[in-house]
Amino acid sequence: MSRAALRCSGCGGSNIVEDALYCQAQQVCVDCGSVVSEDALASESVYVGGSDVSYSRSTAGAKKPCMNLIIGVQRVISICRILRVNSEIEKLAQVYYQQAYQHESFIRVSLQKKEHLAGCCLLVSCRLLNWPISMATISCLLDADTMVMGMLYIEMIKVLNIKAPIVNITDVMEAHSHDYQISSLHVPEELAESHKVLTQRAVELVELAADSWIVTGRRPIPIMMAAIYLSWQSLKPNKHRLKLSLEKFCHLAKVSKHRPATMRLAEMKEMLCKLGREIPWVREAVTPGNVVKHVEDILKHRYALLRRALRAREDALLAEGQASCEELPTKEDAPAHISELGDQNPNASSVELKAERTQRPADGDHPELPRETLKGPEPAANWGKRVLFAPPCVLQAKRSRAEQPERTDVTGDEDISDSEIDTYIRTPQEAREFALTQKMLSE
Amino acid sequence: MDSSNDDALDIIITNVVATFRTRCHLNLRTIALEGNNVIYKPEFGKVLIKLRKPKITASIWSSGKIICTGATSEDDAKIGARRLARLLQKLGFRVRFSAFKVVNVLAVCSMPFAIQLIDFTKKNRPIASYEPELHPAATYRIKHIKATVQVFSTGSITVTGPNVQNVATAVEHIYPLLFDCKRALCK
Repeated sequence: MSRAALRCSGCGGSNIVEDALYCQAQQVCVDCGSVVSEDALASESVYVGGSDVSYSRSTAGAKKPCMNLIIGVQRVISICRILRVNSEIEKLAQVYYQQAYQHESFIRVSLQKKEHLAGCCLLVSCRLLNWPISMATISCLLDADTMVMGMLYIEMIKVLNIKAPIVNITDVMEAHSHDYQISSLHVPEELAESHKVLTQRAVELVELAADSWIVTGRRPIPIMMAAIYLSWQSLKPNKHRLKLSLEKFCHLAKVSKHRPATMRLAEMKEMLCKLGREIPWVREAVTPGNVVKHVEDILKHRYALLRRALRAREDALLAEGQASCEELPTKEDAPAHISELGDQNPNASSVELKAERTQRPADGDHPELPRETLKGPEPAANWGKRVLFAPPCVLQAKRSRAEQPERTDVTGDEDISDSEIDTYIRTPQEAREFALTQKMLSE
Repeated sequence: MDSSNDDALDIIITNVVATFRTRCHLNLRTIALEGNNVIYKPEFGKVLIKLRKPKITASIWSSGKIICTGATSEDDAKIGARRLARLLQKLGFRVRFSAFKVVNVLAVCSMPFAIQLIDFTKKNRPIASYEPELHPAATYRIKHIKATVQVFSTGSITVTGPNVQNVATAVEHIYPLLFDCKRALCK
């Protein structure tokens, strides 16, 4: 259409000029200013001959990595630096973090959880490369709940199919003992102790405690606290140290005391007393009050003392067993009972115990132990009474409900009497009184 | 050998959880007003009723869905649920006892020996998991019967499963594995 032939629809004039509005070419009437015609905003010639490519495919080569992943990996590195782990662990933790982050179970979790995930990756790398660190340390560092971290850790292990070994409490002991500020720089000379010696004795105490069911199933920190306190007292059992209670010791070492530590301390002292009573050169009675003096001797000769204590216990039980066997009519119970005692110590190392076993012929088979123990005078579940050391839950076993045998005749489809149901319903008067009382109380 | 050991082991069922529906809307306020032993929890939108015999606690929602917990056997749970339905009927609701299902059974069992948990976890790697810092027991999940066994080092185990038969099967399944990791009792 030539410009000369265009006429403005507003005023009818033919004075039309070309006037572009930014990149859009327009024909405008000079007399009245109305736009007569305009071109397309974008010219099509650019795309003529080109193919249609979608946006994601066109920018695929230049795809940027997720920002949160980068931040997460940097967080992993910073945690590693804070804990001063070696570079192998740092690299492994980064690898695991990248794998876990991009897995479908974790890609959509909250950022806080992703930070906890960083801690879990570090934990698993430390465990795999033999660097003892506890979950509590990492949760403390990240200010996270240990249980939440734990659940995330278990899920991550399952997802990434990792087989991580379990950390032993004795490995963590050294790191824990460094928390205690009782070197000669911080406290007076008579109360000071070097970390190395303290850790060594505490580790021995914990190993002994592990054999006597004090460690199993309990949180590690109170146990370590009790062990360090005991080892500190026993290294120089002078009256200053003996007078200081656990609470004051924690105050001195500037650590916050854990409540279960007192109970662990009592249990450890009781265990040490049981062993202390077997020391031949100690004339006085060994009580929890005075056992600290003997701790060094007990630890030095612990295996011998354990054997003596076990033998003494065996003798006591045999004496009891023979006394009760005299009352029982059948003869077969006696060898069954004694073979049961013999069966309990399959790994006993002392020669005397083996000699005792061969003297009395044991005719029971090992895998049939449960059946034999039913014939014996004591119930199978309470093996705690027969051994020297047992956990508290076995010593004070809960009695199963007495009403068990009475409910065997219930089938589920019996008739239900009306009177029974009426006991659960209030009478109309009771209901009215109740409503009234509620109204009065709410006013 | 397995079945004879089963006779000697006491599997004690401590809890049975069952659900059922009443197929009608329930007015919680009416139940709270006219029922004895009723606790109304408006913030959760439910009512708790505690029956005496069998000893069961039931959570009742206004949609008519009810969950009963605390029974010691499947039949006990059923009779408790029926008692409850009857009670609601007497309170004036048009109740139809339907969709009764035992959802979860919890049992405990005590082995006559202690168990070395680290050994047990190593031998049963991906199925068993043990984190001493989190929980003192090792967890063993038996997928094909949908049962979870928690193994404590003292020899006690707790088994949870969808019904009593599965629980018994789980104990049978796990006994030989536990026997292998028996802990020497000389200490």
